[in-house]
Amino acid sequence: MLRATGVSRSYGDDTVFRDLTIDVDAGEVVAVIGPSGVGKTTLLRTLALSLEPDEGRVKLDGTDPWTADEAERLVLRRRVGMVFQEASLFAGTVARNVEYGLRVRRSWSERIASLFRLSGAADAVRESLDVVGLTDKTDQPVDSLSGGEAQRVSFARALAYDPDVLLLDEPTSDLDPRNTAVIEDAVGEASDRGIGVVVATHDMHQAERVADRVAVLLDDGITEVGPTAEIFEDPADERTRKFISGELVY
Amino acid sequence: MPLEPVAQLAPALLDGGAGPAASLLGVSFREGYVGSVIAVSLYVSLTAVALSTLISVPAAVAIGLTEFPGKGFVKSVVNTGMGFPSVVVGLVVLFAVSNQGPLGSLELIFTREAMIMSQFVLATPPITAISLAAVSGVDDGVRDAARVLGGTRVDVALVVIKEARYGIATAVLAGFGRAISEVGSVLIVGGNITSADGISKTRTLTTAIQLEARQGRYETAMVLGAVLVALVLTVNAVVVRFGDRGVTG
Amino acid sequence: MPIQRRTFVAALGAGTIASTAGCSSTGGTGGDGSDGSGGNGTADGTPSVAGETLTLTTTTSTYDTGLLDEIHTDFEEMYGVTVDAVAQGTGAALETARNGDSDIVMVHARGLEDEFMRNGYGINRRDLMFNDFVIVGPADDPAGIEGTGSATEALTTVAEAEATFVSRGDNSGTHTKELNLWEAAGTDPGGDWYQETGTGMGEALNAANQQGAYTLSDRGTFISQRSEIDLTILVQGPIEGGPEILANPYGVMAVNPGVHENANYDLAMAYIGWITSPGVQNAISEYQVNGEQLFFPEAVSEDPDFRQYVPEGWSSDDSDA
Repeated sequence: MLRATGVSRSYGDDTVFRDLTIDVDAGEVVAVIGPSGVGKTTLLRTLALSLEPDEGRVKLDGTDPWTADEAERLVLRRRVGMVFQEASLFAGTVARNVEYGLRVRRSWSERIASLFRLSGAADAVRESLDVVGLTDKTDQPVDSLSGGEAQRVSFARALAYDPDVLLLDEPTSDLDPRNTAVIEDAVGEASDRGIGVVVATHDMHQAERVADRVAVLLDDGITEVGPTAEIFEDPADERTRKFISGELVY
Repeated sequence: MPLEPVAQLAPALLDGGAGPAASLLGVSFREGYVGSVIAVSLYVSLTAVALSTLISVPAAVAIGLTEFPGKGFVKSVVNTGMGFPSVVVGLVVLFAVSNQGPLGSLELIFTREAMIMSQFVLATPPITAISLAAVSGVDDGVRDAARVLGGTRVDVALVVIKEARYGIATAVLAGFGRAISEVGSVLIVGGNITSADGISKTRTLTTAIQLEARQGRYETAMVLGAVLVALVLTVNAVVVRFGDRGVTG
Repeated sequence: MPIQRRTFVAALGAGTIASTAGCSSTGGTGGDGSDGSGGNGTADGTPSVAGETLTLTTTTSTYDTGLLDEIHTDFEEMYGVTVDAVAQGTGAALETARNGDSDIVMVHARGLEDEFMRNGYGINRRDLMFNDFVIVGPADDPAGIEGTGSATEALTTVAEAEATFVSRGDNSGTHTKELNLWEAAGTDPGGDWYQETGTGMGEALNAANQQGAYTLSDRGTFISQRSEIDLTILVQGPIEGGPEILANPYGVMAVNPGVHENANYDLAMAYIGWITSPGVQNAISEYQVNGEQLFFPEAVSEDPDFRQYVPEGWSSDDSDA
């Protein structure tokens, strides 16, 4: 469904990755593992169709946003959701945050009309807060949330508009085990709904727990992609093996 | 203290002009005079600040969210504009609206519209500069989230404005403070005019104070000064209140 | 009393507008009130200038004494117009008119008025009223000028004693008069004792009061402020028998519509006709502050005074006309 082929990206003289190929299908969970600073975030932004690759192609269902016009690119971008390492919530209530993606997809007349309506949260908002177990926080201002709760809201915010692809960038790196478990369960729920999920993580155990397939990003490219069990038990690539066994320390 | 003059002003603002001379803090004024001066001050300053905000905030968001060559230069020009002397602005606007100037045919000299023009010029740099600082201070992650979750440029700008609302409110207040407390340019382009029955046409609180001081009536000038301070405090309080309500809403 | 005056002035209005209408049609130089507002009354007698605005630039001394607010109501009601009086000081008032930003000027510096007329900006000048200047200072009079019959001698004495003197320094009519006096005295003021404030008369009086200094003031402003300051008159002006050089005559002039075609010439001439009429001249003489008369009318006279219409020293033989 979402496929990057031979993509390269650099900032100035600094190559982040080169000739990299990765894809995710509906309902599939792909983990991108690799040490911090290896370019996972840049890769996810490229997959989110918000960063144009220097070389190569990113296509969603066969359409390349970077050869499409701006309106078409927006339509494609809106089929992707993303959760950041920091929750990056907007000022306001939990419901306003979760509703954001739905709101920006409405017409201006509807949006202006909704300003004068005192309606409760939409069904989609309540459902996606239910996935992360925060329905009781719907009308709370976000600055009253704990870090873990904020990240769960961030997840619900990306899920609410029912994207085809969900990208998670180190979503649990700052979280305690309980909140981590909630997020990981929510990833499972998303894939059950047929959403293709890409999780970038430096936590190999998390990758083992949630992923159907694993891509190993080392230095400036993907060394190996394959089914999770295969990568962890029988890596074909020497550098992958060293990274997984902990011999290769970054 | 600030409430007292405001409370006493309310009838003066509403009263058409019948009855004896009004008294304020023990100093007597002609009926309707102080009210009309306040009305002109507020009309001119609020209009100028409103127009300026309509230009400045989008400009600040556009500058803050875009990378372009010469951005640093643009910022320094805006910051320099904050310190622009008001009399110089007054002179420039005077040349523009004077009969001999490019806008002479509009006959704007000694009108409130000319005063609005000069205050617009004065208020725009501080509103733009402080808004720009506030916009630049908005977390990159929030901006990214607004975009990646499907927002258009306008959506991102709206999110950024909401995040920066306190800074923008401060910017608008700074612009209002500069406009309403400014005396040099409004005196030059407005002419400090009242009609013969004491109703202000282009007299503001500041030029009224200047007029009283010119005649050595410092006590009267102080009373008007107190009214000006009360007015600024009131507007600030209203904006802060409004801003607080915006957070939860 | 004010009501009585108002009816008197109103009765006079019809005659005034008739006379100024004649003035604008015969005295026009081609610029004929381009806004279509001829000074002629309509059939029912309502003047067609109604609703227009007359911009008058004038000096702080006429404005700040409250005289204009007192008398303008009559003019506004009579013609159904608005007078925007802008108090600027003589130099600035003339400059504003020079730029075509006012319709009429009322100032008190004959030299500057003459220059304004010679340059073609002002026409139809009339002597309006006068008061006088006085030299004021602290009651203990450190330089000892009290009783000096000559203003120039008094200033020379101040300069020799290096007693503090506050100058307006703002190109106002009073400042111009002060500079003329120094010139006549043959003294070039300067040094620590001579302070230019660059402010209005009221502030200058306050500055002089606080420093126990001397200054030149118009009588009107001094009277209106006398109760708040400790200064006293040391050299009288001609109103109280002092030297003629301290006379302070006010003139009024229309802006030349031949130079600035947007000038509201008809209304300006109506104003000149009105303010030089016996009724308003009487009202000026009756205007009092703190129980004292501030201005002495001089527009109404049995004898002709042709000098008021032209720059001083001008004669029809001059080649610069």
